[in-house]
Amino acid sequence: MDEYTIGVLTNVGLLAFLALSAYVLLVAGELSFGQQAFFGVGAYAAGVGTAMLALPLPLAAALAMGLGAGAAALVGLPTLRLRGLYFAMATLAAAEMFRIGFELFRWQVEVGGERVGPDGTQGFRGIRWVFEHGVEPAQFLLMVWALLGAVLGVLVFVERSRLGVAVRAGGQDPELAAAVGLDVLRIKLGAIVAAGALAALGGALFAHHNTYIEPRNFDIMLGVHSLAYALIGGLGTVLGPLLGVALDIGLLEGGRFLKEYRMIVFGGLVAVLLMFRPRGVLDERAVHRLTRWR
Amino acid sequence: MRWLLVAALLGPLSAQAQRVKADMDCRFTGADFVYDCVIRLRPPLEGIAIVVGADMPSMPLAHNVRPVKATPGKAPGEYHARLDLDMTGEWAVKLRLSGAVRDLIVLHFLFTETGVTPRRK
Repeated sequence: MDEYTIGVLTNVGLLAFLALSAYVLLVAGELSFGQQAFFGVGAYAAGVGTAMLALPLPLAAALAMGLGAGAAALVGLPTLRLRGLYFAMATLAAAEMFRIGFELFRWQVEVGGERVGPDGTQGFRGIRWVFEHGVEPAQFLLMVWALLGAVLGVLVFVERSRLGVAVRAGGQDPELAAAVGLDVLRIKLGAIVAAGALAALGGALFAHHNTYIEPRNFDIMLGVHSLAYALIGGLGTVLGPLLGVALDIGLLEGGRFLKEYRMIVFGGLVAVLLMFRPRGVLDERAVHRLTRWR
Repeated sequence: MRWLLVAALLGPLSAQAQRVKADMDCRFTGADFVYDCVIRLRPPLEGIAIVVGADMPSMPLAHNVRPVKATPGKAPGEYHARLDLDMTGEWAVKLRLSGAVRDLIVLHFLFTETGVTPRRK
């Protein structure tokens, strides 16, 4: 596999974590424009873990997931009773608060004669665990996709369980779900926390793939794209967001001949797709049809 | 997967590899968003394979350019690459080094239709 293909597949894998995080919230009935904040929390936490505290990457990633989940709970608790557009606006505002927080975050230590650590708007350089441990790009790709496979496996298991049915029921009709005895607020908070941890895991891997992160990496554009991936791919199955990322990156890579117009054409295609399939390519109806044939 | 386990367990024990730094100068070619760049490694290492990519900081992973291989120049540690960007603006240029050293160096530049200016430290 050539370096370009490895790079594209790694990007698809990394973005899939963010897309899955947006998907979990969409299934729970909420639209979040703020998942990039937890992606950022994970990136910074894991970067601090390996580059400054000399933790091994698995431990740093676990730390990142814990902090991502905690940060999501911090946003989720006060916004728990908001719905629809109000929840979306609250998540957007919270994400901007986190991004500004990254811009103000300065903490550097000396490692090997160099200052390493977050330096406000200058970003955070030297997250070199992957290079220091001789992990080749193909091996990192394998690591990303192995973790993604594990996450997908867990999500498929949850979706088929009573919990998954409860999350979907609470998302589609919270009043009816509450009437049959489901604790909708608790389910929603659980989804927010799980989505935060997922985004943070993606962020941890992103920081180590890139070796450098900066606050602007985690701005609204990333949040909008993560929502778009989940909506394009479809809300009928956990494979939807992965399909959404693959379509997005595939169209962007395939549309290079369009030069500076490719983002405009891409935006138009997304709009047309969502007009005809508002819940994505793999929506509930499509998944039902596909599973009926088994 | 054995290497992953070993690497994970070694964690803090790993030695600090030799750090390579790089400077880059680019000039506008006159063609839309195409820039010729000269990369200088410090120390001036030769025989290093450099793949040059770039993405926009506000849309990492998605808004990027197809990476190109840099070719060795005449001076020691000097390499040349042509960057074909999608648009003007600030780009994070990534130099992926392999061979005697493995590293990823990220440099920021503001690419305009008249020239290129380095951004940040």
